[in-house]
Order: sequence, then C-alpha cells, then structure tokens
Amino acid sequence: MDLISNLGHGFAVALTFNNILFCLIGCIIGTAIGVLPGIGPVATISLLLPITFGQPATTAIIMLAGIYYGAQYGGSTTAILLNLPGEVSSVVTTLEGYKMARNGRAGAALSVAALGSFFAGSVATIVVAASGPLLTQVALSFGPADYFSLMFLGLVISAVLAQGSVIKSIGMVALGVSLGMVGTDVQTGQQRFTFGIPELSDGVGFVSMAMGMFGIAEIVLNLERPESRNVMSGKVGSLMMTRAEFHRAIPSVLRGTLVGTMLGILPGGGAALSSFGSYMMERKLSKYRHEFGTGAIEGVAGPEAANNAASQTSFIPLLTLGIPANAVMALMVGALIIQGIQPGPRMVEAQPDLFWGLIASMWVGNLMLLVINLPMIGMWVKLLSVPYRYMYPAIMIFCAIGVYSLQNNVFDVYQTVFFGIFGYLCSKLRLEAAPMLIGFVLGPMMEEHLRRAMLLSRGDAMIFLQRPISATMLAIAAIALAAMLMPNIRKGKDSALAEGG
Amino acid sequence: MKLNTKDLLSAGLLIGLAAIGLWLNMDHTMGSARRMGPGYMPWLSFAVMLGLGILVLGSGLFNGPDPIEKWTSAEIFSLIGGAVLGTAAGMLAAQAPGWASASWNPLGIGIFVGCMIPSIVKSWRPLFLISAAFALFGLMLEPVGLMAAIAAAVILSAFADETHTPKGVTGLVVFLCVLCWAVFIYELDIRVPVWPQF
Repeated sequence: MDLISNLGHGFAVALTFNNILFCLIGCIIGTAIGVLPGIGPVATISLLLPITFGQPATTAIIMLAGIYYGAQYGGSTTAILLNLPGEVSSVVTTLEGYKMARNGRAGAALSVAALGSFFAGSVATIVVAASGPLLTQVALSFGPADYFSLMFLGLVISAVLAQGSVIKSIGMVALGVSLGMVGTDVQTGQQRFTFGIPELSDGVGFVSMAMGMFGIAEIVLNLERPESRNVMSGKVGSLMMTRAEFHRAIPSVLRGTLVGTMLGILPGGGAALSSFGSYMMERKLSKYRHEFGTGAIEGVAGPEAANNAASQTSFIPLLTLGIPANAVMALMVGALIIQGIQPGPRMVEAQPDLFWGLIASMWVGNLMLLVINLPMIGMWVKLLSVPYRYMYPAIMIFCAIGVYSLQNNVFDVYQTVFFGIFGYLCSKLRLEAAPMLIGFVLGPMMEEHLRRAMLLSRGDAMIFLQRPISATMLAIAAIALAAMLMPNIRKGKDSALAEGG
Repeated sequence: MKLNTKDLLSAGLLIGLAAIGLWLNMDHTMGSARRMGPGYMPWLSFAVMLGLGILVLGSGLFNGPDPIEKWTSAEIFSLIGGAVLGTAAGMLAAQAPGWASASWNPLGIGIFVGCMIPSIVKSWRPLFLISAAFALFGLMLEPVGLMAAIAAAVILSAFADETHTPKGVTGLVVFLCVLCWAVFIYELDIRVPVWPQF
C-alpha cells in the first residue's frame, strides 16, 4: 500500500523534534486566538508569517496549519462557556452549546466538541492523504484553460459565499485581481502601476495587505466597540458525557464530519461555512430536533466536527491544485511562495516531505489539541480575563516588527498603515476583505494561465468552452452566480448568514 | 427613492479605482488576445471592476435605506485638515535636508502627521492613533532602535483606549520590550537595530 508507506514517511517527518515543537506552538497559539474573540486565524497567520521564514518550509506550514485548526478547537470553548464565539466558525456552537452550559452540562458540551473535532480531524486527515495523490493525477491533465476556469470558479464561489452583497464581493475580487497586477510583468518585464517605487516592482506586499486589512482594521473595529465580556459564570462541571448523550452525539458527529469534509474541499468553503451547514442539517435530520434551542448535544457535536474537518480538507485544493479555497489558504500560498515553493500539482512529487509531513502533522496536532483543550480548559478561560487594552498594543507591535522584518524595509510598515485604513473603510462600507485577498493571490496566476491558454488557442476564446473540464467549471460558476441573483435563494442565504453571524 | 448610502459609496470607490486603473493602464501595450501585452489582463480586471461598480451603483439606488453614521463637522474638518497637513508635511520633509528626506521618511512623516491631526477628535482615535503609532514605529525603528520604537508606539496607541492607566502602560511597554527581544532578537535573530546608535 502506497498510502500507508507514504503516511509512514509523513509521520517520520512530522515526528521530528523540531516539527513536533512547532506543531505544538501552532496548536497552542491557535487555541489561544480561538478562545479570544477579536483576533482570528487570518490575522494571526499573517502576523506569524514573517516569523516562520527562518524555518524550513515544512515546519513553517505545519505550524501555520496548526493555528488554523487549533482555532477551531479553541473557538468552541468560549462559545459554550460564555456565549461568545471566539471565531466565526463557532457562532452556531453558541446556539446549543451555551444552552447546554446553562443546563449545567458545560463539561459534556466541551467534551463532545473536542472529541467530535478529534474524530473529524482524524477522518479528514485520511481523506486528505487518500485524495491528494488522486486529485494530483487529475490536476496534471489540466491545461492552462482549465486552470483559468478553475480559478475563476474559485473566485466566484468565494464571493458568492461571502457575507453580504454578491456583486460587491465580486467587485472586491476584481479589486484584488487588479492589485495583483501591480509590479513587474512576468513576460515583458514592464513595470506596471509601480509609480517608479522600486519596492512595488515585486508587487504590493502580500503580508502588508493581509495584516492591514485583517490585523489593523480589526483592532480599530474592536476598539470602537465597547468591551462586553461577561465574566465566566457557572462551573465547567464534569467533563464526562452520560451514555445517552454519547449515543445521541455519534450520528451527529458522523454527519458533521461528512458535511465538513465536503464543504472544506469546495473552493470558497471552509470552517465557517461548514459548521453552519452542519447545524442546518442537524436541525432538519436529528431525531431530537424538537430539543433544538434548549441545549441539544447534536447542535454542538455536528458543527464542531464539521468545522474541524473542513479546516483540514480545505488544504486539498491548495496541496493538489495550488488554488487557495479561502483567505487562510491564500496566506498559505503566500507562505509557500515566500519559501520558494510554487504550490501546484507537482508539489506531491517535488515536496513529499512537505505534503505527507503536513498531513501526518494534522493528526498529531489533533491529538495534541485534545490534550491541550480538555484537561487545561480552565487555563484558556482565564485568558479571557486579559483585557483587550493590553492585547491590542501587543498585536500592533507584532504586526509592525513582522512586516518590517520581511525585507528590512520601513516601506512595508507604511504600506500596512495604508491597508489598515483601507480595510477599516471597507468594513464600514460592508465590502468584504477576504474575497479581495483571494483575488489578489489568484490574480497573477490567472493572468499567466490566460495568456498561455490564449496563445495555445491562437487567440480563440472558445477554448474555455471547448475543453470539457473548463466548460464544466464555467458552467458551475454561472449557475452559482445565477442562483444568487434569484431573490428566493439570496434571501435564504442572507437569513442563514444573519442567523449565523 | 430608497438610497443605500453604503452601496453608493462602495460603488464610488470601485468605479473611482477602476477609472484610475484604466487611465494608468493606457501606458501599457494591450497586445492581442493571442499575444497579450502587459496591459491586457489589467484592462480586463479593471473593466470588470468598473462594470461591477456600475451594477452596485444601480442596485444601491433602490435597495436602501442604509445610511452611514452621521459625521460631525469636527470629524470632517479634522479629516480634511489631516489630509492637507499630512501631504504638506510629507512634501516639506522631502525638501528638508538630512534625516527627514532620507529613504521613506517623508512618507512616514506625512502619514504620521496626517493621522495625528484627526486624532484630536475623540471618535477618530482608534483608527488614526493606531495608524499614527504604526507610522511612528516605522520612523523610529532604524534611527533609535527597536526598544525605543516599541515604547513610543505603545504609549501613543494607548491613548486610543481611555481605560488605560499610566501604570498599566508602563508594565505593558516593559513586557513587550522583553517579549519582543526574546522572540525577535534572541530567538529569530532578525536584523534590526535594538538600541539607539551613537
């Protein structure tokens, strides 16, 4: 079995001392930011990108991945205990989880969240391992036109699934793609939109943009909102579930794992979407759906399993096709490119250490998270008593040093200020930053594939419709767009997202 | 009319940026679809952006009302003042001899001044004090070193939150200096001046 020997190789990589250490650091940081509202994985990963440069690529990605799925574990803790979602993906956990805590079953809710996440994470690890090489084979048969259409589909879906107006989100995608055009044109060497600034000839700073739009803008928005953290009331109680609760949770965890695995692979999908999808499914399918709203364990088990599964399977498009499915994956692309690795279908063969090591580390990380979270829950809750006024200067300073250390150039610091103000403006106008970031990462790749495709077809745009893979992608994108323009479906999505957030 | 102010402003932003982009893109050769020049893809993406901006504009006329928060005249004037004085300070610094005009310092001075002016108004403080602190960090880092830059940026940003106490800020500065030294200098060994150099 190839899979087993490959996984064995992966574990050999993941279990080296350095990688275990950084996986642990990633998981701990992930849990911490998951617990803390007001700082999410996107901001944290962009914050820590510069710090990982000194490490080998595999170690860097293992740690960054740990932050992402670690945040899914941590996010559930505050959702259950304080009715305060630490992450967007744990918003639905508050609905049933907090009710359970009010009923004195906080411990059981936390246990089911952690165990469900662990189960889902293990399944997702296997799915990534099994489907990775398979999809890579498929991806190798992709021509430039297919790639272009696939990326186009990814952009459309990321905009369709973003909160708020679809047209505005696509506008942000276009803005991101346009910003991606800044810098030296790869084929002719011409400087585009650089205004003679040498620092811009490599393009707009990716880390500056992510830190500004997610880090700085987020700090400002949090400062404007008055702090409303109710102090932890009530005890966690016994972590043990009753036999009945355990039995009720099993089918939900299974369904949540399935939903999360599928929605994670989807371009534009990810943890937030899948926890929400799973909650909707549980409310329709669960045998105990009449108990929803009063603290049903299914409403915790399903979504928590789903968001953890999705946070791992969303690596699949990145690892096999080189296409980021969401903003966090866009950051991973950035991290890989800075490390000198071009993400794409050749990564499995060219970087087996990275590919299999990352997959194995996910499972190792999940095991660590189980230990980090369950017995040490009290410590994480205490973290919430740190007031935000002590946190934001720290975040700010880390941003500033990190962004400076990229190229030892203060221009990057000023660029970040600019994107911070712009990000604040965007959030006031309800323009989503995440689609812009994905557009920014995909823009230059799309240009390259578009050029190649058109060169091959001698300037005939019909190539995008003649190739079956490409035509299918475009058709799905068209359907997704058309569906969103229909008032009924749009209303459904809006109310769904409004309930979720 | 149900005007959606937020959408209209968003549309303005998208259309404005797209128009600027298309104008700047006139310098680049388009090439043909078969052999695309450097101007082809930017043209495409700016055109799409312009089109979407117009769509947002169209829908924004009807799907409101969604007004933005009312700005006080102090907020507006301080913002304009900041923009004008910030630009002026940046241009002056570029002309000045010595440190002020070296490398990116004019830009940093411009941003710093431009952000400090609106910070006079309390409601602007979270946004502009954080930005100003960031710019101050950039300005101070190379000449006086990391520790002084951290201290200055943290103290300035502390004014953005009224609940800060002098004691708390002092503690925070010390803590962050130690932490950043441990992480960035001791552990990661990044190339940055730590102490003022004389």
